[in-house]
This record gives sequence, structure tokens and C-alpha cells, in this order.
Amino acid sequence: MPGVGLGNLQRLAPKPARYVLNWGRKYSLWVFNFGLACCAIEFIATSMARHDFIRLGVIPFAPGPRQADLMVVSGTVTDKMAPAIKRLYEQMPEPKYVISFGSCSNSGGPYWDSYCVTKGVDQIIPVDVYVPGCPPRPEALLQGILKLQEKIDGESLAERYAAHRGVDAASVTRPLMAPPGAAR
Amino acid sequence: MSTAGSPWPERVRAAFTDAIGEQALVEEGFGPVAVDVPGAAWHDAVALARGELGCTFFDWLSAVDEAGEGFRLVCHLARHTPGDVAHLLVRTLLPKESPTAASVADVFPGARWHERETHEMFGIEFTEDGQVLALAPLLLPEEFEGHPLRKEFVLASRVAKPWPGAKEPGESDAAAPSRRRTRAPGVPQPGEWGPHPPGGSDG
Repeated sequence: MPGVGLGNLQRLAPKPARYVLNWGRKYSLWVFNFGLACCAIEFIATSMARHDFIRLGVIPFAPGPRQADLMVVSGTVTDKMAPAIKRLYEQMPEPKYVISFGSCSNSGGPYWDSYCVTKGVDQIIPVDVYVPGCPPRPEALLQGILKLQEKIDGESLAERYAAHRGVDAASVTRPLMAPPGAAR
Repeated sequence: MSTAGSPWPERVRAAFTDAIGEQALVEEGFGPVAVDVPGAAWHDAVALARGELGCTFFDWLSAVDEAGEGFRLVCHLARHTPGDVAHLLVRTLLPKESPTAASVADVFPGARWHERETHEMFGIEFTEDGQVLALAPLLLPEEFEGHPLRKEFVLASRVAKPWPGAKEPGESDAAAPSRRRTRAPGVPQPGEWGPHPPGGSDG
């Protein structure tokens, strides 16, 4: 669909309808956990009974990135893993959100001077909310989710695509990256 | 074998002295029994440890960058008997210019994985029948250049940004006697490597 922008319906919808659309989206975030290190354990703790982010509408049962709205990158991103993160991010349908969870995925964390650690996942994919900590407490992830929901509540998808991604439907539906080792 | 009932270090010493001669130095330190062999005898030493000494358990193989001396190739083997485990480290010092050793993958097939890692991390070549093996990268990204576990591998992040916080006596606010600063491996002197910082300062 070259030349067709995303989010037109939302842009043309009356304000109450837009509010309802955003309200519906922010309480139905199918999440996909890109767990790479110990922060993933905190993510799992947040999903379990005590902290239970399902009560905030974050559903940790996405069968894969193609069914997910939110990706939580929790852990140390290495240069070797970076192409896989980008690939799985590109497989997610729009609108998609990313929470960078923990020092390592924010900036490289304690491994910032390593030869193999990416200095923050925002070097490869756009990040919506950063959760600091090493590792952050589950409450910090809950706060990050609330911040993301505030952001979704106030956003216009048309503006998001125009300002944040700068893409149209044609570039969103471009071919996937080749898997590692495939003939280029 | 006559030394079958003797203590493990004695058995190791007897076996290696018989097979390799006086060049094999057995060391009983605080760690496991270690034997240093010449580089040419590397393959024979590992085969001997498996065959004659019964070290059938291959734990790992890696290397140590000994800076001025060269690279020390280390292999940890163990001999399991009911109720007992005897450890053995086989070591050899390879020259820094052309570190090459015979592959021991024919003795322990699982050693190939470790040799690939040692090859990419230290740049040590492994040979089989005199031919240098073309070992595929294992852990590093495809486009990675250099051997990151060598001491001379420059950590570019540490050049671009100094270590945050005090790491040496005398660097903190509290006045402490100044002494010679040690430099971590991979951290070059200011101005020695990479583009010079803007403004001409050498910090």
C-alpha cells in the first residue's frame, strides 16, 4: 500500500472516539518479554501473583512477537543478539511499544566498557519508556507500565507515526531481515 | 602400571616423565595438579592424560594471555573413579608471535568447541595433520575484528569515556598518598589510540 499513511482513521475520528480507542489500547497490551539476563526474572516476578501486572491490562501470553503490542527488553543486549532483537521488533505489528528494563538495556549498565555489549537497546530500536535499576524492582516495572499507559492515553497514532517513526505503510511492510547465515 | 596405587601427583609425574621427559614439569600448588609441557608435545600430553592416566572427562580448554611471555594454553581434565575425582591441568606456553598448537579434537571431540572459542578470543591457531584449521567464529558477531581477550585489545568505550568514579588511591576527594597509577589491560594511555579529543586536552 505505498503512499497510504497509517492512523488516518484515528486522526479523522471525533475526540471522544479517539479517547475510547486509546483507552482500549492502553489496557490491552499483549507483552512479549525479550528476557536476556537477570532482569527477566524481575519481569517474571512482576507477572506473578504478588505484583500481577495483568490487573493493569498487560497480558504476558503473546504467542510471539507477531501477536504482541509491547516488547520489554530486559537484560544485557550484546552485539551478537542485537540483530535478533531488531528482527523480532520488526515482526511486531504497529502500533508497537518498547520498554527498556534495567541498566543494561538502557545504556549497557555495568558492562558499558565491554567489547561485546551494546550501549543501550535504543541504539537499534526506538524505546518508549526506560526503567532504571540494576535490576529494577517489580514496582519499577509497574511504574514504567503506568507511564507507558499515560503516553498511550495522550497520543495520536497519526502523530506517532509521523513524528516518531517517520514511516508509511510501505516501509512498515518492507521485507524482513534475512535470518543469520542465510544467503544474502 | 607400577604406580597405580601411588598418590595422584606421583602418577602424573611418572607418566609424563616417561612419555615426554624432563621437559614436562609437574606442579602441585594449591589448585589441581598441573603439568607444563612444551608446545610441540601438547597433543601427545593430552592424549597421554586420557589414555594412560585415565582422564576421560574433558572439562574445558582455554588460554591465558601472559603479556610478555606469550599465551598459555590450558586444558582441564578429570579422572573419575567411584567415589573420587582426580583433576589435572595440562598447560603449554605458546610464543606470542605465532601461537599455534595441535588440535586435540581427535582425543576429545568436544574440544573443538573450545578450540573455536580460543581461536577467536585469543587468535591461537590449531592444526590438524600439520594443516592450520579454518575455525569458524563461534560467539562473536560476524563482522567483529580482533581478538578481544588479548591484553592489547583496546576497549574503545574506555577511550571515549573515562572510568566513572575513583578506582585508585589518591583519586578520590579524600587526600591519600599518591602512587603510581596502574592501567587496566585494554585501556591505552590518553592520546595513544584513536582520534584526539576536541580542544587539544589529553584527558
